[in-house]
Amino acid sequence: MVYCIGHSILSPLGIGSQANYDAVQAGRSGLKIYSDRFADVEPFCASLFDTPQEFVPLCIRSVEEAMENVQSDNVQCTKDNGQWIKDTVFVLSTTKGDHLELLRPAQAIAAHFGNPNPPIVVSNACTSGVCAQITAMRLLEAGLYKHAVVVGCDLQTRFIVSGFQSFKALSPEPCTPFQPDRKGLNLGEAAATIIYSSQPSAVRVQPYWTLEAGSIHNDANHISAPSRTGEGAYRCLMDVLEGCTPEQIRLIGVHGTATQYNDAMEQVAIERAGLQDVPKSMLKPYFGHTMGAAGVLETILCAMQIKESGVKSQESRLIKMLSGFGGVNAAIRLKTEC
Amino acid sequence: MLKTESYIEITPRSVMLNGQAITVQETGDKMLVELYRRYAGDYPKFFKMDTLSRLGWIAAEILLKQSAISNQISAIILANRSASIKNDTDYLATISDGNYYPSPALFVYTLPNIVTGEIAIRHQIQGETSFYILDHPEQLEPIILSTLNSKLSTILAGWCECSAKDEFYAKIQIWNN
Amino acid sequence: MEQLIEQLKSQIIEALNFEDMTPADIDTDAPLFGEGLGLDSIDALELIMLMDREYGIKLADPKAGKAIFQSVRTMAEYIQANRTK
Repeated sequence: MVYCIGHSILSPLGIGSQANYDAVQAGRSGLKIYSDRFADVEPFCASLFDTPQEFVPLCIRSVEEAMENVQSDNVQCTKDNGQWIKDTVFVLSTTKGDHLELLRPAQAIAAHFGNPNPPIVVSNACTSGVCAQITAMRLLEAGLYKHAVVVGCDLQTRFIVSGFQSFKALSPEPCTPFQPDRKGLNLGEAAATIIYSSQPSAVRVQPYWTLEAGSIHNDANHISAPSRTGEGAYRCLMDVLEGCTPEQIRLIGVHGTATQYNDAMEQVAIERAGLQDVPKSMLKPYFGHTMGAAGVLETILCAMQIKESGVKSQESRLIKMLSGFGGVNAAIRLKTEC
Repeated sequence: MLKTESYIEITPRSVMLNGQAITVQETGDKMLVELYRRYAGDYPKFFKMDTLSRLGWIAAEILLKQSAISNQISAIILANRSASIKNDTDYLATISDGNYYPSPALFVYTLPNIVTGEIAIRHQIQGETSFYILDHPEQLEPIILSTLNSKLSTILAGWCECSAKDEFYAKIQIWNN
Repeated sequence: MEQLIEQLKSQIIEALNFEDMTPADIDTDAPLFGEGLGLDSIDALELIMLMDREYGIKLADPKAGKAIFQSVRTMAEYIQANRTK
């Protein structure tokens, strides 16, 4: 297991995890109709930054934010702290990166912080943000690094929006996950960062949460349609339930894209895993589908939700799940202490 | 202990299986089709795949057919440097100015991890599939090492790079601990 | 009509990458999905795009495709009645 010692979210709804959490609590949504953002593309509903952002500076800002709120008494995350950064690996979660480039922006972000280690880009479609956390956990558990900075980011382009439109996957209005009349997904933009450490802090400072387990499974069914039996997602849920019972899970952060097939598949997988009575968190109506950022952003907000609604000094567990093109599914289990 | 059970290496002009050369007549993408006809031939979906997927798919096909432990594969982990750039470029051509007809069949391959899904479907592997973008093939080894555990003990993993239709390189191995 | 059917078969082979197949191999009345040509959901979307690109027909609702894409003949009939180019 690894410990979250810092996190941040930058989205059209606000700067910083708390601002984004508060926006969701207040029922604010970033979704709007865009009719002339990209040439030729039909009008679409999405959550975009008012001013178009640059990929690398946005990611850097997100990492800086996360470093500022680091809660740990044995990590000093300053740019001048040479030892901390030497023991750290940067893991970037993105699908289309900076105008189709993935490796170069990851190198630029790591270089900005004086990080000497080769960055890793996780490109596992829409599950990337959860897979990146699993990769970070494995590298830390293997003792290869002490800390991992997991950054998730995607910005919307003519390329992405035209592709999803050709797939007839976009809803013309704000999406309604798990509702019978759902019409499809909305795209979104965000950057989010989680800093994990293999070292538990001394007792006086609590980690934000503990990442206890993670699992990735392929449906082996179709490259763009989820399995009707939810096979991959079900296997992920069963893996992360190992060592605890369904009753101990207080929240499932579903993918909930609001496409007919995705949500139906998730419902089947959740029922097969005996988790049908667990409350679901669905964040796409606020942020849209932020692609590479989704797994990171949604993990942070689910953890905050559990923490803020919990009983003092009580342990709670939650599951965050995602599915994506290529038939891939992923899930992680977190533990929080209030 | 980490060991390699078998491996395959494919360049636009050559194929090596466990260090032994496989004779080919064609080069580049045509060579991948030649290999498909010789080693598979029963999977027309191959022709719908982009070059990156054809490369990884045929490499896995040849490698898994000769391995005694192919039914134990519990994860497919591939990596490269350029993600899906060759197919991204092909998709961009379908949304060019004045000729805007975005192709869904091309768009679906604008993610590098699709090749891991194609291999999983062909061999009915419902284990892990992951794709990483790295600067160098050597950087994949620590990732494979940290992935191998009691549940994921036999892994199909390696480098699968395609920067253009006839420019590619794959070195894929079966790892076992 | 027969000319349109032949042309459509060539376009389908080209758009869906049916290597080793000629227009003569496609039965005009055989189902395109399921048993016949065995097309899948991505192929259906690609056919929608083909109708737009080649015949100027925009199909907003993919569900409407079900009736149109029953066979090459039903597709040709729909194109003949609705083409704008």
